[in-house]
Amino acid sequence: MVKVEGLSKKFGKVEAVKDISFEINVGEVFGLLGENGAGKTTTLRMLATMLKPTVGKVHFAGIDAVKRPHEVRSRIGILFGGETGLYDRLTAYENIFYFGELNGMRKDMIDQRIREISKTLGMTDYLGRRAAKLSKGMKQKVAFARSIIHDPEVMLFDEPTSGLDVSASRDVHDFILNCKENGKTILFSSHTMTEVEKLCDRIGIIHKGKIVDTGTVEELKQRYDNSDLEEIFIRLVGDKI
Amino acid sequence: MRLKDIWIVFKKEVKDISRDKRTLLISILVPMLVIPLLNIFVGGGIENLQKEINQNVIIALSKESKTIDVKNMVEKEIIKDNENIKLVECEDPLRALNSGDVRLVIDIDKDYKIKLREGKPFEIKILYDKSNTKSEGSIWILSSAIEKFNNNMVEKRIVSAGLDKNILKPSIIKEENVADKTKNGAGMLATFLPIIIVVLLTVGGVPAATDLVAGEKERNTLEPLLTTRPGRISILIGKYMTVTLFSFITVVASVIGIFVGFLINPNALSIGSGEQISGFSIPVPAIIFSIILAIALGMTFAGLQIALSTYAKSFKEAQIYLSFLMIAAMVPAYANMFTQPNDIPLYSFFVPVLNTIAGFKVVLSGNINYLYLFYAFGSSIIHVVLSLAIAVRMFGKEKVLFRS
Repeated sequence: MVKVEGLSKKFGKVEAVKDISFEINVGEVFGLLGENGAGKTTTLRMLATMLKPTVGKVHFAGIDAVKRPHEVRSRIGILFGGETGLYDRLTAYENIFYFGELNGMRKDMIDQRIREISKTLGMTDYLGRRAAKLSKGMKQKVAFARSIIHDPEVMLFDEPTSGLDVSASRDVHDFILNCKENGKTILFSSHTMTEVEKLCDRIGIIHKGKIVDTGTVEELKQRYDNSDLEEIFIRLVGDKI
Repeated sequence: MRLKDIWIVFKKEVKDISRDKRTLLISILVPMLVIPLLNIFVGGGIENLQKEINQNVIIALSKESKTIDVKNMVEKEIIKDNENIKLVECEDPLRALNSGDVRLVIDIDKDYKIKLREGKPFEIKILYDKSNTKSEGSIWILSSAIEKFNNNMVEKRIVSAGLDKNILKPSIIKEENVADKTKNGAGMLATFLPIIIVVLLTVGGVPAATDLVAGEKERNTLEPLLTTRPGRISILIGKYMTVTLFSFITVVASVIGIFVGFLINPNALSIGSGEQISGFSIPVPAIIFSIILAIALGMTFAGLQIALSTYAKSFKEAQIYLSFLMIAAMVPAYANMFTQPNDIPLYSFFVPVLNTIAGFKVVLSGNINYLYLFYAFGSSIIHVVLSLAIAVRMFGKEKVLFRS
């Protein structure tokens, strides 16, 4: 579903991402595990067509993301960590509706889908409330709904639990697993070993812009003869810091 | 770039911004209130000050001149025909002048009687306080009275010499102002109105421009927006149109403010000139040109404001950049405030800001030269295209858009 080949990104003299390649199969959760500044966000931004790669190719179901970014964008949903990035002066409904419109959906379809999603996420009661008046948990659910309003095939999660407490993180995990159940292809970036172990089918360990190893958690454990993913991670990146 | 996408972004931005109290305050309420208040307080104030200067010119004699003869001459010969000038007794005339109790102090040559008798000029010194507007403004009133006294004395001497008093007047100057009163008022309007409109155009779009890019960056709403289907240019144009709309709303609000000011005090609209502008009419094509020029300037500013807001890392940084832009626009505007419509140099019709002011001045002067308006219009279109190109370039730069 997603194919990344020899992807690099330079900002002036700084090479943030260096020749990375990986593939994500349909319905698979691929985790990009790395420390802060490892190149996770730059990679996700290139996949989301926000940044143009300096070198390399990205394909979504055979569509070239560099040449046909509009088509790719309508097939992806994205959720960022930290602030939910909602428009405070718009209601929860208006926030979600706006993204539906931007992704080319018909108004009646958007309305119907908002009703469905809000029922599933338990947010029907506050759809008409302005985002500024919502609690952090409520905002997060609106951000979930906004990211899947157009029923994307691929979901990109950029450190979605960053800065969240335990229960809010759990909500994010449940949302990701729910997306997986619905057959979505998922790229998930994180620096937390436990959530990567919990959610990902396969992981790629990224360090200083390079993918240093990929595989399932079990494969990595066997390869490095260690049952602790954190130990493996430190072994892979520690001596290279 | 798709029109539908631009419309979606524009619709949302207008809804979002119109719910922002700060924007509504700066873009609509302030211009609607400021202009009538300016009319009332500044216009009315200037008018009242002028009236006050003309009416109560209190003068005193210097200590050296305080004699019965001088007092009689001043009262009976110099100020007798001007009931607004009043001579008062003062123990310390200079202190009274400094404290503002008297407007002027006159010091008359102690040998004035002899010199007058011999037909020689004698000196009348007028002491005034430059730091006091009323004192300085009264000089010409007393000077006119002295001038009249001089003429009377000359006439008396000529008559006593057995000559015709008109012998010293080979010609008589007669000035006649062909401009009607409404035009005089409009002339004053041409001085101030373009500046007010230009300043408000620069201010009107600022809250929207700051909020729509730098604000979105800061609130982390820009990244999700950029991952949606529409291209970056469609998103930018939607935002750009919103900023332009709010600049224009500010101008409309100001025009409403001007009308309200006119209804409250028709004289004050001409900023204290005492002339009315009722009956002053502008041809429809000239009005259309003016509106287009205003919109074009709003669009030029919108492009630059969006570009600066994109470049800024934060909301605060954007506010600083946009303040500089406002100052940069205001300097040429104020520098050309007193340029009369007939004295506008040709290059002004091609320079940003100046071309709009020049266009407005030409329209408000009553003598409309459509060729000049066309120059201003043509150059405005070029400015709009250039500013939009800068905004597009800035919004397309990854380094700028994602710098933090």
